[in-house]
Amino acid sequence: MNGRPVIEVRDLRVHYEGLTLFGGLSFQIRKGEKVAVAGESGSGKSTLIHTLLGFVPSFEGQVRIWDMPLDALHIDRIRKLTTWTPQDLGFTVFPSVRELFFTPFRFKANRKLMPSPQQIREIFDLFELPPDILDRPVKEISGGQKQRLVLAISVLLQKPLMFLDEPTSALNTEIKQKITDFLLKSPEVTLLAATHDEYFLSRVSKVIRLANLSDYA
Amino acid sequence: MHKGAIDIPWLYLVSGYLLMIIPLAIFRAYKTGLEKSTLWALARMTVQLLLVGLYLEYIFKWDNKWINLLWVAVMTVVASYTVIKRTGLRLKLFFFPVFTATVLSIVLIDYYFLGIVIGLKNIFTARYFIPITGMLLGNSLKNVIIALDAYYTRLDEEETSYRWQLANGATRSEARLPFIRYALQRAFNPLIATTAIMGLISLPGMMTGQILGGSDPMVAVKYQIMILVVIFASTSLNVWLTLQFSNRIAFDAFGNLRKEIFARPPGRKLKRGPKGRPR
Ligand SMILES: Nc1ncnc2c1ncn2[C@@H]1O[C@H](COP(=O)(O)OP(=O)(O)O)[C@@H](O)[C@H]1O
Ligand SMILES: [Mg+2]
Repeated sequence: MNGRPVIEVRDLRVHYEGLTLFGGLSFQIRKGEKVAVAGESGSGKSTLIHTLLGFVPSFEGQVRIWDMPLDALHIDRIRKLTTWTPQDLGFTVFPSVRELFFTPFRFKANRKLMPSPQQIREIFDLFELPPDILDRPVKEISGGQKQRLVLAISVLLQKPLMFLDEPTSALNTEIKQKITDFLLKSPEVTLLAATHDEYFLSRVSKVIRLANLSDYA
Repeated sequence: MHKGAIDIPWLYLVSGYLLMIIPLAIFRAYKTGLEKSTLWALARMTVQLLLVGLYLEYIFKWDNKWINLLWVAVMTVVASYTVIKRTGLRLKLFFFPVFTATVLSIVLIDYYFLGIVIGLKNIFTARYFIPITGMLLGNSLKNVIIALDAYYTRLDEEETSYRWQLANGATRSEARLPFIRYALQRAFNPLIATTAIMGLISLPGMMTGQILGGSDPMVAVKYQIMILVVIFASTSLNVWLTLQFSNRIAFDAFGNLRKEIFARPPGRKLKRGPKGRPR
């Protein structure tokens, strides 16, 4: 298992009505690598992450994650090894920030990871989240706070494969660098992040550049 | 049978309709344009109820288990159809889950209430079986509509929250849980509210009917209480089973919400394709 790449993509294409993304993209990501996906808005950065998480079942090409083919049979096992911070953070189905924050730690697969009050204090401190944020309704916290909260959850889940979609888009410069460094710190974690942030791009080991849509035409 | 209510002779019934002059006069005075739809509604109501009266008369006369069951089956089909039509979900996909959930919840609750609480030897006796079943069906209808609609609309709008849970280790039922909770809250808040004020503002229709029919008020009250309990039980069972059964058809093999479940060409497509969609 160690010798094989964590993510192996060959000849990937995704068809949406009237457009084809990726034009036969191939790449490999090894254990512990930190990789960024760059490209203009609409080039398919988010779609690439969604595809790797099994949310675009109609993709064309071969995808293996931890040597498991990305199919209906293996998707549940794959998703047990991943964490994802999405680009669009709605989360209004959760009545309170507390509910949102603790929900993933109540999943059977994550129960052992339930953070202690001490751990929560530490990470909130690092991500500059006010401690009373847990008692607020989800609708009332800012986009930047929501982004840091969901990133904090992703970190606390300690999954070996981390997908982040524009993880620092709503953060100001100062905290952006601190959080970027923190996210990229753990040598064990394999990370794939969609971003066009210069600082983030300068810190990763590899960049996958997606072509503009018009280039496929 | 006991004393029963005084029959209303047909001619007197017509004189009763004269009361409708009041709303019609008011609507007309203010040029509301409501007169025509009021008359239409009145006509429909009259014809529909007369038809019900007519076939109930026969159903009670025959009092045959199989005919009663057939009647309930037909009503359940109609109810399931009505439920799905009002939700914007696809009839072909949802008929079976809704129908099965309704049949199961009604059979179970009818059996318990009529067979055990009331202690009927034959629970298919038309006098009891037909009105109780009709009441259960009619009352669970709107809650099932609210629940189904709330559940799937919310799953669609908040698809990212659903997927976020899956991608962070949730089983499919764990990821659906917040959505089921939301659907239950939406469907049951109104029923809880009406149950809580029961008897304060108005006399419930069934109780009024029983008292007019010559029942002792206390007997009528006991039936009314039981009816509310039974409605609560069968409605919650029906809503829950409907959501569970529909889960089996609404997701693909990867656990994604299938877009084909929606019947209406939804305006949501526009919202989803993010900013830079070229066209
Ligand atoms: N579910 C979908 N259905 C149809 N088109 C989609 C869908 N999701 C994304 N797209 C289209 O695919 C393209 C890539 O989108 P996306 O992956 O969000 O790009 P990026 O994250 O790089 O901005 C866009 O043109 C977008 O409109
Ligand atoms: Mg994106």
